[in-house]
Amino acid sequence: MNRKEFMAELERLLADMPEEERQAAVQYYADYFADAGEENEAEVIRELGSPEKAAESIKADYYGTEFNESEYDNKDYMKKYGQRSSERRDSSRPWTSNTLKLILIIAIAIILWPVTLGIALTAFGIAVTVVCFFAVLVIAAVSVMIAGGVTVIVGIVAGIAVPPAALVAVGIGILLFVLGVIATVGSVKLCIVVYPAMLRGFVNLCRRPFYGKAV
Amino acid sequence: MVFNTGAALLDAIVLAVVSHEDEGTYGYKITQDVRRVIDVSESTLYPVLRRLQKDECLEVYDRQFDGRNRRYYKVTARGMAQLGLYKSEWKTYIQKINAIFEGGVTA
Repeated sequence: MNRKEFMAELERLLADMPEEERQAAVQYYADYFADAGEENEAEVIRELGSPEKAAESIKADYYGTEFNESEYDNKDYMKKYGQRSSERRDSSRPWTSNTLKLILIIAIAIILWPVTLGIALTAFGIAVTVVCFFAVLVIAAVSVMIAGGVTVIVGIVAGIAVPPAALVAVGIGILLFVLGVIATVGSVKLCIVVYPAMLRGFVNLCRRPFYGKAV
Repeated sequence: MVFNTGAALLDAIVLAVVSHEDEGTYGYKITQDVRRVIDVSESTLYPVLRRLQKDECLEVYDRQFDGRNRRYYKVTARGMAQLGLYKSEWKTYIQKINAIFEGGVTA
């Protein structure tokens, strides 16, 4: 068998496929022979085995069946192939797609617009409150610290006129300042722990729809 | 070779081979390049290329060569992303296998 015969036979065997599929396959093998060169023609034909085998591998993939070379001993391949392809069509694989699911979710969200908007705004509000809460803790602690410092300064300045009151003010001020420092350090440390954890949680939440359960 | 090359690995190898050519490459050359590494028959690669093309990981175009139209394959942006995924999956896979081969089960 030479190249011309091989190609003619291949075209004939693919005749029952859609025109576009058949042309793409024929073009591929025509290119293949041309690029291999005449000197390798016999080698390529020997490697390909037979037009039937080449056709089988093309069709097997097109119709979604597994092409197994070791199984290819069956001369009556048309019969085998026919059975396989009908089996395949009856139990065609369930068609699911992540993109489709996402589109569906968005569509449902749009249809239930008044409800989803409420839920979304509430969730957003809660999220903002939680995020701000820890920041506010820091600000409060810093404020206590500043207030303590100011009280000390005021006490010293006023102390020139009224020494006993000044001592009380300075004492309270120092106490406040120390409490403020402790609270600041504590709340900043809390933020260092809490904010990255929140961010990780949020990122994981966003990733879940795209990666399925097995993350 | 004693190990089988599964469909995903074959896809990854073909994508990698095609991605090395900026201008795209053609069926015969792809087959030769792949066969330098793994033992596949000449009829194996057409279905792989066709499938990758349908999945929009590869795009084809025809260019004049030697007085005929030759079909060229090129990796798309989607194909590059897919190849990146395959590469990172492969890396973790061989690390785990190597860990077992060289020092027992670690994780």
